[in-house]
Amino acid sequence: MSIEIEFDSSWKDDFLHRIENDGPWGNWELFKLAINVEKHLVIPDFKGLLAPGHLPNLTPLPHQLETAKQVIENMNGKAILADEVGLGKTIEAGLILKEYMIRGLVKKVLILVPASLVTQWSMELNNKFFIPAISQRKSYVWEQCDVVVSSIDTAKRNPHRDIIFKQDYDLIIIDEAHKLKNNKTKNYEFVQNLKKKFCLLLTATPIQNRIEEIFNLVSLLKPGHLGSETAFFEKYKRDARSLNDNEHLKELVNKVMIRNRRADTGIEWTKRHVETIPIECTAEEKDLYESITDLKSEGNWIQTSSFSVMTLQREACSSREAVFYTLKNMLQKKENPTPAFEEQIQYLIKKVEAVQKNSKAEKALELIQKVNDKVIIFTEYRATQMYLQWYLKQHGISSVPFRGGFKRGKKDWMRELFQKHAQVLIATEAGGEGINLQFCNHIINFDLPWNPMRLEQRIGRIHRLGQEKDVMIYNFAIQNTVEEHILKLLYEKIHLFEKVIGELDDILTKLEFGNIEDHLIDIFGQSASEGEMRIKMENLSSMIEFAQTMKEGESHAAAGNS
Amino acid sequence: MQQQEIHNFLLNYFQSNDCAIVENGPGYLTVQLTVELDKELMNRPFYWHYLEKTGGVPNPMKLTFITNQDAAPDNLKGEIIHFGSPRLHQIFASTKNLASYIRLYENHRNQNKQTPLLPWLCLNVKISYQCDRKRDIFKSIGLQLINGKMVEDFHDRLLEIQLTPKIPDYSFTLSPLVKPQSGMTRIETYLTSVIEKEDHSWALEARERWDQDLRLLHHFYEDMEDENENYETEKIALKEQYEPKINISFINGGLFYLTEKAL
Repeated sequence: MSIEIEFDSSWKDDFLHRIENDGPWGNWELFKLAINVEKHLVIPDFKGLLAPGHLPNLTPLPHQLETAKQVIENMNGKAILADEVGLGKTIEAGLILKEYMIRGLVKKVLILVPASLVTQWSMELNNKFFIPAISQRKSYVWEQCDVVVSSIDTAKRNPHRDIIFKQDYDLIIIDEAHKLKNNKTKNYEFVQNLKKKFCLLLTATPIQNRIEEIFNLVSLLKPGHLGSETAFFEKYKRDARSLNDNEHLKELVNKVMIRNRRADTGIEWTKRHVETIPIECTAEEKDLYESITDLKSEGNWIQTSSFSVMTLQREACSSREAVFYTLKNMLQKKENPTPAFEEQIQYLIKKVEAVQKNSKAEKALELIQKVNDKVIIFTEYRATQMYLQWYLKQHGISSVPFRGGFKRGKKDWMRELFQKHAQVLIATEAGGEGINLQFCNHIINFDLPWNPMRLEQRIGRIHRLGQEKDVMIYNFAIQNTVEEHILKLLYEKIHLFEKVIGELDDILTKLEFGNIEDHLIDIFGQSASEGEMRIKMENLSSMIEFAQTMKEGESHAAAGNS
Repeated sequence: MQQQEIHNFLLNYFQSNDCAIVENGPGYLTVQLTVELDKELMNRPFYWHYLEKTGGVPNPMKLTFITNQDAAPDNLKGEIIHFGSPRLHQIFASTKNLASYIRLYENHRNQNKQTPLLPWLCLNVKISYQCDRKRDIFKSIGLQLINGKMVEDFHDRLLEIQLTPKIPDYSFTLSPLVKPQSGMTRIETYLTSVIEKEDHSWALEARERWDQDLRLLHHFYEDMEDENENYETEKIALKEQYEPKINISFINGGLFYLTEKAL
């Protein structure tokens, strides 16, 4: 067969020119050195990894090396890296990128990551991999720099978008790629339009997705790998929840996806210690909670939105500030409020005002003083976050806030402040994703999320590679509230906290009945009586237990099967 | 490259470029750059521009490289150099850049006797076999420009010969019958014919992978009626990803005048 052979002609022209002009000629020692260098830089084989030889400061773990090798040798440089949280997907991506750069197959690289991770990515690539990655801050960077790290939200907007489409990228890396599961979004369209010669999609949670989402993700990477859209959905039900039903599909997906599990890596992980701390609240706090609970039977005063009642209940378990904020919003948003409505709100605000102290905050303070080390507090509510910061300051404890909405620079700065100066970081839910805080090993769950995966992500911030100590998790729950129900039934009974990372999403995938959060809203919102609620909770937890035993049975049957 | 090899390489590079070696201790090396090498390596054009405009005294930098952290003194400040460090690769590139072309004569010891020197054209090349993977081989080819004799591993043979940049006494060069330009063409033709005889299963396999992905791609966009821009983009991407190609780049080369007995 004929293959195109191309000779680099620029050298020849210059050579002839020098013969004509009798020089200038180089130095024999340097000439010999150049050959010597080249003999070292020659790539002896199509296979194998050269990158580790270039990275003396990095000792990749066996599963990371294996992944890099797989992607390059068997997946042709297009892959979804779906390791469980904390196994070092960034390292794997860095190894692959480095390997391609050494081999001269990749020069121009675009790395799209959440805004909070931009600095971290470029720092890691520079320090660990000696790759001169630049965080995009000015628009000329796209053209002038070879390796650029940016957030997708910046990249997809003009003027950046147009410039990016004019570049010739050899490799595109997208972190937190599960955000691209919906093919109707602008982000999806943007990535779809990019030319992807080599491409890595990094995600920690692909298999909890619905089959449609898997289709979208794979089609982004390798269109047609799962067939065309119509053909695919003729074959598989659009909203089927699990890949595991279909061996053939699973196999296909595995051709473009690598998923290392914590249990398979053979790495010794530090332990998780979980402690539930029941909180007894004051009479005023209890009164507030119960007044809110009573609303459910009050008829349709807030458009019978059981969701609002439940939100208020959960907020009452967090802080009076959170409740007050929501009440105020409700009043403002309501057009032409009826006097009865206003009266109700005022009634509740009175109850809020009656609350003199926050029992949870007191407990948190006590715990922080006892621990005498860095602590992360997670809360779902911004009002609570602000209150806690004020409260801790009153008692001489320095803290920094953290939110998803912070700009990139501010996030980096807050992380830095926490590491170097403050004892406590107070994060809201959205801030949980995307920062690594393994220098800290204490988490207080001031209130509990209803979606167990979110809880997993919270813990994943600190329980990851690089964590050297055992991780302590303290769960706060106010007695005799919705919070305690959740904690008791969902988390304690099925031991969700003790699960190692990744087992959880496996288990959740097995549950064919949808989103746990939806179920909880249904249970707490729609149940007519305590009894009904209890029965529904029991059902839910036995379903989860069932899935768990199924999973255990499976792993016995197919040990070592990834 | 081992750390000791890197150390020796650096020493060699700076010595060959006339830099004073300030210190050469275990695991480290301090060199005083010349003006030329400061310009080559330190990337500070504004400084040099300013200096030349104002006629100031040039002050090229002094650099310390640590090639072995365990052996070097503890509090020594310097750049840590290892096989992956950008600085080393910059110096690699500089080495190639500074010695791309050469002309040398054999330093024979034939006194009192006129000795003819035969012209040889030497090309050191890197052949890169590239698809979605890559490998290279190094080849050094010499072509005698009078009788057309071709020699492989030419560089290794040269290493055994005493060479000098000035024509030695009692020597004269023979004019080439083959012009350097057509000499280069001969070497290219030779390389092409050698490559064509090689096993190209790697390229066949790459084409298979390419075809397979093309089929999938086609299938994916089959249902869409309009010309789809993404389809075209993806097609180009697949070509860039898989298309087997062989690139031959010249590392360096030159003219060598050697005695008849030399090769």
